[in-house]
Amino acid sequence: MTLSKSIGRAWNSFFYEGFSGESLGLLRLYFGCGLLLYHVAQFFELLTLDPTGAQFYFLEPMWHFALLGIDHHVPILSFAVFVLLMMATLTMALGKYTRTSIAIVILCIFFLKGNRDSFTGDVHHRYLVPIQMLFLLLLSKCGHAYSLDERYRTVKSRVEDWEASWPIKTMQFYCAFFYFWSVLAKLRVSGWAWADGGQIQEELLERSVMWGLTDAGEAVRNQLAFHMAQHPDLLMFLAHLTLGFEALFPLILLVHSVRWRLIFLLGVTLFHLANFVLLYVGFIFLPVVFLIFFDLVPVHAWLKEKFRCYVLRRRSLPAPGSG
Amino acid sequence: MTRQTVNRILVVYLLVVWTAVAVRCDRFPLTWVPMYSTYTPIEKIPVVVIDREKMERGILVTHRDGSQRYVTAKELNIPKTHFWRLYYQRMFGAPPAKHTQGNMNLGTVNRWIRGLGENEPNFSADWDWRILRSFNKTLGYEPSDPTFIVLAEVESEIVHYQKKDLLKKDVSKPERMTLRAKVQWKDEWLQRWKNDTL
Repeated sequence: MTLSKSIGRAWNSFFYEGFSGESLGLLRLYFGCGLLLYHVAQFFELLTLDPTGAQFYFLEPMWHFALLGIDHHVPILSFAVFVLLMMATLTMALGKYTRTSIAIVILCIFFLKGNRDSFTGDVHHRYLVPIQMLFLLLLSKCGHAYSLDERYRTVKSRVEDWEASWPIKTMQFYCAFFYFWSVLAKLRVSGWAWADGGQIQEELLERSVMWGLTDAGEAVRNQLAFHMAQHPDLLMFLAHLTLGFEALFPLILLVHSVRWRLIFLLGVTLFHLANFVLLYVGFIFLPVVFLIFFDLVPVHAWLKEKFRCYVLRRRSLPAPGSG
Repeated sequence: MTRQTVNRILVVYLLVVWTAVAVRCDRFPLTWVPMYSTYTPIEKIPVVVIDREKMERGILVTHRDGSQRYVTAKELNIPKTHFWRLYYQRMFGAPPAKHTQGNMNLGTVNRWIRGLGENEPNFSADWDWRILRSFNKTLGYEPSDPTFIVLAEVESEIVHYQKKDLLKKDVSKPERMTLRAKVQWKDEWLQRWKNDTL
């Protein structure tokens, strides 16, 4: 009985406390702005195609395309859906027709990702955390603060803290365990052998030598990756570091200090940046989801104050040629 | 929504995402996060060297009437990164990463859930058929057409590094070899073509 009560208390204190309606509204606003950039980075290659050109028949349609019988790419449709995605993301960020906008964003991502990842069958994982966030935002009352919907609503409604907290806390939970599952996967698939750094060595070699070699046997491009591949001790250290930080990621859920969270997440951001530079791993913009680990109300107030000071300073400056 | 409803949603949500992890489900938006997880220690590391000039020129194809030409990324209207995968991986029978991740060390329970036999892979595909189906359908060729593509060929340079050489930082003389991939049409695929099955 006591145990079930303790679990209940822990559950309630984790999922239902910590954020306000304003925090949730601001998360929608800033995450939406970040997504605009994210979409461009993810789907840019579809926009390099000829909209009226050949309609490629997929080598391996993604599961939902296979289910729907979509077996070829219609480029003009990808262009149209991308425009729709950007518009819906913008209206989502601004909080106009919020729920509908989020639903459209989700559908557009499924469509564009389905196209991008069906050409040759390589399914990328970069939208996993963002799509979970969108799903939880869809279920939440994120359009009730800092939104155009709220501005024009005749009957104002107040979002209780528990209503604002559970979606954000669930996002935090998913994101933290996303990294943790990654360690589980490595150990389930390759065992402790993964920790010897050999996998990183192979990737570094592949991503540097792929551009060709000089007569002296040096990589033509990405030389840093090529040289790192020749230091097995360093790679073993990096492999252990990766496993360690991924395994310990869920501990962030227990850390209340904003400073320590920030330091840890900056470290993770650096990890994604290094992966992008050395291995061309496309998670470079994923840190946009780390917004969920912070209450954005004080951040927003700070940014607003900075912007106000900047505007005032600009106004107080004499106009050129006036003196 | 009441708090009770939210509790139910949370329980179902957490059960679904954790079940996906347990059963190694990697179907967007569910995942067990298997990226970069596959690794088998080897002494000789093979690395593909991209020849951008050759790749730009395209994949050499032979039509049913015996004529030859190159099919390019532009003609197929696919992004360059995918053409690279097609040229250097699928043409050589190499599957996408998700196949390797899904096949490697699949446990007894997960094999049982999927109804897989002892050595039966979780993912497999006949890439030769898929490539020629895709080329011909994309370019609008029918099996009876003289322009129907019956053969596709590419070449790839592979460089092999020995781990012991890398340890000594001796990278000046890696072993090089050129591999050639040929993807040939089989008339036994005609029924598949008519049924349009992958």
